Amino acid sequence: MEYAVEMHGIVKIYHETGLHANDGVDLVLTKGEILCLAGENGAGKTTLMKVLYGLEHLDAGSISIMGKEESINSPLVANRLGIGMVHQHFMLVDDFTVAQNVTLGTEPRYGGIIYDLKKAEKEVAALIEEHHFSVKASNKVGSLTIGQKQQVEILKMLYRDIDILILDEPTAVLTEQEIEALFVTLRTLVTYGTSLILITHKLHEIKAISDRIAIMRQGKMVGDFATDSIDEKEISRLMMGQSISLTIDKVEYTQEKMPVLQFEDVSVVRKNQEHPLLNAVSFSALSGEILGFAGVGGNGLGELESVLSGMLPISTGRVVHKGLDITSLSTHALRQRGLAYVPADRLHVGSALEADVAENMIVAARSKFCRNGILQQKRIEQHTANLLKIYAIKGTPRMPIGTLSGGNIQKVILAREIEQYRDYIVFSEPTWGLDVASSRFVYDQMTQLKSSGAAVILISSNLDEVLAASDRVIVFYRGSIVAMLEGDELNKVSKEEMGAYMLGLKRQEAFHG
Amino acid sequence: MDKSLKKKRPVLPAVFRNSFGILVIIAIALVVIVILALLLSKTPLRTLRYFFLGPLQNMYYFGNMLNTAIPLIFGGLGFSLAMRAGNFNLGGEGQLYSGAFVATVSALALAQWGIFGVIIALLLGAVTGGLIAGLSGVLKMRWNATELITTFLVSYAVVLIVNYLIAGPFLDTETNLIATKKIPENFRFLRILEPSNLSIGLLFAIVAVILVHLYLYKTKSGYELIMVGLNPRFALYGGIRTRWYQVWPMFLSGAFFGLGGGMTIFGTYYACMKDFSVGMGWNGLAVALIARYRPAAIIPAALFFAYIESGARNAMLHSDVTFEIASIVQSVVFFLVTSSVLQKIGVRKRGL
Repeated sequence: MEYAVEMHGIVKIYHETGLHANDGVDLVLTKGEILCLAGENGAGKTTLMKVLYGLEHLDAGSISIMGKEESINSPLVANRLGIGMVHQHFMLVDDFTVAQNVTLGTEPRYGGIIYDLKKAEKEVAALIEEHHFSVKASNKVGSLTIGQKQQVEILKMLYRDIDILILDEPTAVLTEQEIEALFVTLRTLVTYGTSLILITHKLHEIKAISDRIAIMRQGKMVGDFATDSIDEKEISRLMMGQSISLTIDKVEYTQEKMPVLQFEDVSVVRKNQEHPLLNAVSFSALSGEILGFAGVGGNGLGELESVLSGMLPISTGRVVHKGLDITSLSTHALRQRGLAYVPADRLHVGSALEADVAENMIVAARSKFCRNGILQQKRIEQHTANLLKIYAIKGTPRMPIGTLSGGNIQKVILAREIEQYRDYIVFSEPTWGLDVASSRFVYDQMTQLKSSGAAVILISSNLDEVLAASDRVIVFYRGSIVAMLEGDELNKVSKEEMGAYMLGLKRQEAFHG
Repeated sequence: MDKSLKKKRPVLPAVFRNSFGILVIIAIALVVIVILALLLSKTPLRTLRYFFLGPLQNMYYFGNMLNTAIPLIFGGLGFSLAMRAGNFNLGGEGQLYSGAFVATVSALALAQWGIFGVIIALLLGAVTGGLIAGLSGVLKMRWNATELITTFLVSYAVVLIVNYLIAGPFLDTETNLIATKKIPENFRFLRILEPSNLSIGLLFAIVAVILVHLYLYKTKSGYELIMVGLNPRFALYGGIRTRWYQVWPMFLSGAFFGLGGGMTIFGTYYACMKDFSVGMGWNGLAVALIARYRPAAIIPAALFFAYIESGARNAMLHSDVTFEIASIVQSVVFFLVTSSVLQKIGVRKRGL
């Protein structure tokens, strides 16, 4: 059997931190197979793939492509060898069309000079046709959905005649339907002879798509199996090093539940937009419960998050916090009233990556750490060190937060917001991109907050999470509430039925009209 | 990850570690100067001697070099303050010039007030620069007008207006210069290195650096300013009034340029001459770039810049170097020093 990729004894050490990200890793990829590279956050999956793609330089080991040993020291070399990579964060120019983005850097030209846009569009259109993508070559990338942007990234690689394609967490930002479409695409690619490596830690996806699975833990390869020969429990055991349960214990809050935060007919209307972003949304978040919000991306969950955090002014309606109208308060004023909020975008909103951990930790509580306008650095450092210890965060107060792993960054944000919370707290996509252990940590924190009487608002596009964690679930479709489930109804609801609500196929009696 | 925590204490203090890249660049720049001298001068040794040793050969040149650094330090602080909040202030020229003018005119009006007059005149100059820059901040906050353009354009207009005021209503008709009247004797800064022009203005500049350092790193407002600069979305999310930080740092920035202008008049020129400050604003920007917007690094950066400038001036006086060649040398150095690619090379070397 011939291998598309053979990696032997790969060692990659990050010298700034002394971290052995890859510690003697072997990996082979057979031609025309789909390999899932699984592991927790920080297991070294992405590093290994960056080595293969020439983004990181290896400290020891060898790489052979199509049986020939190669030294890959830049992505250009990787491209020339037929290796392509689709990153988790897209690298696209919003103001360019799909064709312009796809051909960027290898544009077809008249006489070697002038950009032949027509030809580019024709070639890209043919490529789209061939692979049954849903984008148009002439679409502006800025107007595409996330799933379509990912298609453009894949097209970019196909246009360059890639036959080994690496995808870094390709499903992390996609909705269920988009994931299905992606999988169809990937299977088609394989029939054309492309070999694929997917980095992921979603167990059911591994089972659904891959031929083979390679599992990494703490920089080492701990297992390599044909996917049929291993079950999800075993995969997760190897990834985690221990068995884990996939349910969240629900603790009942015994005291009387009081309304903390109320939305009264809240609508957000944008100029020139036919459909309101939020349409007469009313609900009441109660103390001692987790109120979950579910919905497919683009149906109002993002706007709900923005309204809750005071970043999006509402057009009509009222927001009431403990009897006081807070409709028009700025984020600054809401923070002073005790707004605690874990944002969906932890890298661009939830933290300042170049600032250190302590600076990130005090942002909302900064006034508590100064006297006469002078910051009390000692107290800030102590406070931060203390929280780092309580939340078992690997790091020190004066490291830039950007040097921490994604899971640890999220823990810093959690620590900060839980410190800040007074009576309600908003979690938006709190476990997005986190491994199982970190996710569990988040769930434990939410449960604890709830049992101490907090009104916990959970906004999540992860359906399993919303169903498992919430006491009450509200479903959004096109900016409106279409269903509210609680108690038995919630315990019994099937994922199919939820899907019907989320896709607008079904609507509860109370929310008709 | 565990290993990263046990990372041993760095041998060098932070300032030096962070400056490694810039030190490499300065070394390259000096080599380039030597090469240019060999290529462009018929007497390269003589040129180089005056270039490198000229500023240090006696107290007069040395003191003048230090004096050149004063407005550079203020300008460097000014540009850095705006930059740390994520705002570009390209209007340093106009802010410095108008600050100098207002300080001079105020000094003339407050001649009887003694030391208080000095302070008030300098503050009025600072406020003038601050308001001019702050205007661009307001335009950005209200109408999202890019400060990159507005600071530059406003400054351009301000320079012309000040030119008119100096040549018109405030012209001192007793001299042949296009300048205002000279400020009273008791307003002039003490000279500290006769016969050079160096005055106690240098001490004020050092105090200003210390104050800006303390403001940025020790106060809540400085913390908020830096957070807004690092990530405005994060700052907004954290409850920082980000709109205020589109105006306030611009005001501070302009105020430091204006103060630098006033200091230069009170310490060196004593009268506001037409076009006396041409280039000072831009050079302040260059100093800020060299220092990478860190207050503590602004003094060495300004001294380096002043040294190169004095060296070029000296080589011009004493050797066959023309003004153009001296300018080319300066711009090559400036180009090298601000090259972020080269700075990164320095950083990567540090990692290995």
